[in-house]
Amino acid sequence: MTRSPTTANRLERLYALALCLYPERFRQGYELAMRQTFRDALQDRALVRRTLIPLVLRDLVTSLAKEHLAMLRDTFARPALIFNALVLTGLATGLALALYAIPQQVLRQGANDPQIAMATDLVAVLERGDLAATLQQGALPTVAGGAGAVDIAHSLSPFVIVYDDQGRTLVSQALLDGKPPVPPAGIFNYVRNHNEDRFSWQPRRSVRIAAVVQRVDGPHPGFVLAGRNMREVEAREEQVGQMAALTWIGMLGVILVGTAVFGWYTRPRPA
Amino acid sequence: MATGTAPAAPLSPAVFAILLSLAEGDKHGYHIMKDARAPQGGGIQMGPGTLYGSLERMMRDGLVEESGLSDDERRRYYRLTKLGQSVLAAELERLDAAVSSAHALGLLPHGGRS
Repeated sequence: MTRSPTTANRLERLYALALCLYPERFRQGYELAMRQTFRDALQDRALVRRTLIPLVLRDLVTSLAKEHLAMLRDTFARPALIFNALVLTGLATGLALALYAIPQQVLRQGANDPQIAMATDLVAVLERGDLAATLQQGALPTVAGGAGAVDIAHSLSPFVIVYDDQGRTLVSQALLDGKPPVPPAGIFNYVRNHNEDRFSWQPRRSVRIAAVVQRVDGPHPGFVLAGRNMREVEAREEQVGQMAALTWIGMLGVILVGTAVFGWYTRPRPA
Repeated sequence: MATGTAPAAPLSPAVFAILLSLAEGDKHGYHIMKDARAPQGGGIQMGPGTLYGSLERMMRDGLVEESGLSDDERRRYYRLTKLGQSVLAAELERLDAAVSSAHALGLLPHGGRS
């Protein structure tokens, strides 16, 4: 079969254009050799064009994908680049954790402040006299709103509960499901030895209290628990967590883009 | 730059066909493609992109090298290295063992091999 030189030239020009799609390094290394191989194939009378053209088209698709993947691997999968990215990711993660943990602790510790003041003042009053008699004389601080007791599941007001030395409730400004809440087991033994404890108390699912328990010494010893629902504080802690998470994602994005740009500009180039 | 790390068996069809073709001697790209297309060369339909991509990786692995000979500056000739020869020999042994096993199991038509 006679082959038209014009068609062959046209096909070769098209093939040369298609070679522009290969990565620069591969193209510079093999463009001339590939064009020559294609020219040889066009001149091979044993290879008909209806076999050659689909073969070359399939080859273009598969080898373009393969060479671009190889180029990406060579550009971005270099150990030094990955190591740098991992170190930066570790630093960003540590920073984001600190951005969450520090304000969270400040908020949580700050949530105890009114209770510490209330418990300290009440303990000072109770230590001066008989525990039960002093309570009857109205030593308790006024509950916000003026009511006798607060529903700690809903109210954000601070409250106090006074216990005798055996841990029995003498008076309570707090109610949960209509009853004074039961303090965590072992808390009085701990406070008997350490004088004070500050802790997060969950008397019921979804009710969390920032609690401070102080020892009442003197001839009529006992305990004072001051508490406050942590709902608002925990909402702020959640906001801090969301901001820290957004900051972390942003830093990861910057590291990703920075690594990609740095990897591209420092990629292996044709000799 | 050759790293000298031999690829793990089994070799890909393209790499095997290229090694087999170059076992005869130095050849240029289209000659290798023709050999690979022939049934005795592996029957691999390979275009220039696959051929030169494979050759580049094989040169990096130290299996082949450019011979430097050329009848035309645009034609590049390649030859097997010592490592390439031993990798080809190992692959042929592996295939030979598989064919012998297939014979023993009666999976191949009679007369294909003694």
